[in-house]
Amino acid sequence: MLNTIHLYIRSMGMLLKSHLQYPASFFMQTLAQLVMEGGEMLAVILVIDRFENLKQWSGANLFFFFGLMSVSFYITEFFGRGITGNFPSMVRNGQLDTLLLRPRNVLTQVLCSGVDPRRISCIAVGVTAMIMGSNMSDVSWSFLKVLALIESVLMSCMLILGLFMIEGIFCIHSVKSVELVNALTYGGRSACQYPIDIYPRPLKILFSVVAPFAMTMHVPAAYILGKPLYGWPTWTVFVTPLSGIAVLFVMSMLFNKGIRFYRSTGS
Amino acid sequence: MSYIEVEGLRKTFTVRKKREKGKLFREKEIVEALKGISFTVEKGELVGYIGPNGAGKSTTVKILSGILTPESGKASVGGRVPWKDRKDYVKHIGVVFGQRSQLWWDVPIIDSFSLLKDIYKIPEKDYKVRLSELTEALSLEKLMRTPLRLLSLGQKMRAELCGSLLHRPELLFLDEPTIGLDAVSKLALREFLKWENKEHGTTIMLTTHDMEDIAALCSRVMVLGHGQKLFDGHLNDLLEKFDKVRTVSVKYDIGTPALKLPEGVNADQKDGEIRITYSPSELPTSNMLSILQNAGNIREMTLESENIDHLIAAMYKEMDL
Repeated sequence: MLNTIHLYIRSMGMLLKSHLQYPASFFMQTLAQLVMEGGEMLAVILVIDRFENLKQWSGANLFFFFGLMSVSFYITEFFGRGITGNFPSMVRNGQLDTLLLRPRNVLTQVLCSGVDPRRISCIAVGVTAMIMGSNMSDVSWSFLKVLALIESVLMSCMLILGLFMIEGIFCIHSVKSVELVNALTYGGRSACQYPIDIYPRPLKILFSVVAPFAMTMHVPAAYILGKPLYGWPTWTVFVTPLSGIAVLFVMSMLFNKGIRFYRSTGS
Repeated sequence: MSYIEVEGLRKTFTVRKKREKGKLFREKEIVEALKGISFTVEKGELVGYIGPNGAGKSTTVKILSGILTPESGKASVGGRVPWKDRKDYVKHIGVVFGQRSQLWWDVPIIDSFSLLKDIYKIPEKDYKVRLSELTEALSLEKLMRTPLRLLSLGQKMRAELCGSLLHRPELLFLDEPTIGLDAVSKLALREFLKWENKEHGTTIMLTTHDMEDIAALCSRVMVLGHGQKLFDGHLNDLLEKFDKVRTVSVKYDIGTPALKLPEGVNADQKDGEIRITYSPSELPTSNMLSILQNAGNIREMTLESENIDHLIAAMYKEMDL
C-alpha cells in the first residue's frame, strides 16, 4: 500500500514534468479552463440573481453548493485523469497492453498514467465560490463542520471516480466508449450543483441511490449551512457520504473483473 | 519438463461486420486466430516465430505474456500459467512490441527507467548494476537525459529493450523488433540479443518478417499460418525443403558457346554472360559444371541460391497461406 502511494506520487511528479515540457500550451489551457469555469460561475450568479430564493435555499447557499461540486469534480479530474479522461483511448490504441505486462494492479497503473494540472484554475474558482457562499450565508464554522466538509469533498471525489469507471468497464468490453454514461458523470455535475430537494422524484432517486451525489454532497452541505436536509439528525451527515467509497469499491471490483475480458487490439 | 509448454492453444475473436443494407442487425463473424497450437521451448533457446500477417503470431505472444486468455488449451511458462495470477507471472517476463512504446513520451529515458524500477520493485543496488550493464551493451549512455520523443527509431528501440530487461526477465518476447530500423541499428540489435541470451541465459522468442533476423539469431524457427503451426525446426531444414533452385552465371573467354543443356533447363544470354536456372535435385551441380566446362574456357562463374525472402514467399505459397 505504502509502495503504491509512493509509486503514485512519483508518477504524478513525472507527468507534471512532462506537462511542463510545453509551458506555453500549459499556460494557455489553464487560462482557457479558468474562463470556462468562471463562465459557469457567472451563469449560476445570474440564475441566483433572478430567483433569489430556490425553495428554502438562499442565493448564497446555492453558491456554496456550486463551489462544493466544482471543487470535488475538478480535484477528481486533476488527480484521476487516467480514469476520467485517458482510459478509453488507452483501450482503443492498445496502450492497456503495456499496463497488463507490469506486475501492478491495472487500476493503480491507470491512475498513475494521467494527471491534469490545468484543472487547478477550476478548483480555484470552486474554492472561491465556496468561501463566498459560506461567508454570505453567515456560516459559523465549528470543528465538526470542517470535518464534514473534508469528508464530503473526499467522498464526492471517490463517487465521481467510481462513476467514471463505469465508462471504463464498458470500454473494456466494447472498445469504443459509451457516451450514455456521461449522463451520470457530467450530467450529475450539472444537476447536483443545485440541492437535491428542488428536483422531482425520479431525479431524486437517481442522484440519491444510483449516483448518490445527494448523499456525499447535499446532506453535509445542508448541515454546514444550518438547514439539515429533510431534517435528518446530525450523525447522518457523517454516514451518508460513505456511499461514495462504497460506489468506488464496487466499481473497482467490477473493473478488475472486467479486465479479464479485455481482448486487445491488433498490432 | 520444458520451460515453455503449450498444448492445443485456441483463441477466437468475434468480429462485428459493418451492417449490410436492408438487414436489421450487423452480422458477426467468428475468426479463429489460433486453431490448437502446440510446442515446447527449452530454457535459453532463441526461437523465431514467423508467418504472414494475421497468422496468429501476435496472438500467441499476447497469450503467453498474459494479456489474453485463450478459449481452450494449456500453456505453462516456468511452471506458471500466464493468464492466471497475472501480477506474479509478468515479473518474470519482458515484452517489447516493435510498434508500441512502454516508456513515457515526454520525459528523459533515465526517468522512465527509474519509474520502472519502482513499478517492478527492483532493489536499488541491483538496479544500478543492471542499468550500467545494459546502457553499456546498448550504448545508451549519451541518450539518458534525452526525452523519448526526441530519439530516432533505432535509439527508441534500444531504450525500449533496456526498459524491458531491467528486471532481469527469464523470458523475453519481441514482437517485430527490427521493424523500420536501418541496417546499422538492426545489426546492433541482433548483437545485443545474442549477448543477452548468452550472458544471462534469457530465453528469447521473437516474431519477425525479416528473415535476416532469423538467420542471424535463431537456431530454431516456427512457421505459423492460418492459426496453425506448419513447421518447427532448424532454419536450414526449412530452407532445404524449398530451396530447389540454383542460378549459375558464366562468362567465357571467347564469345558465348552453345551449351548442350538437358531439356527443360533454360539459359538466358545478356552482355556475353549466360545465366542458367536449374534444380539441383534433377540435374546435379557437378553434371552442370562439366557441361559448362566442356563448352570452353570459363573466365568467370558465380553460383547463387535463391534469395531467402523468395524462399519464404514460395513456402507461404506452397502451404497455401
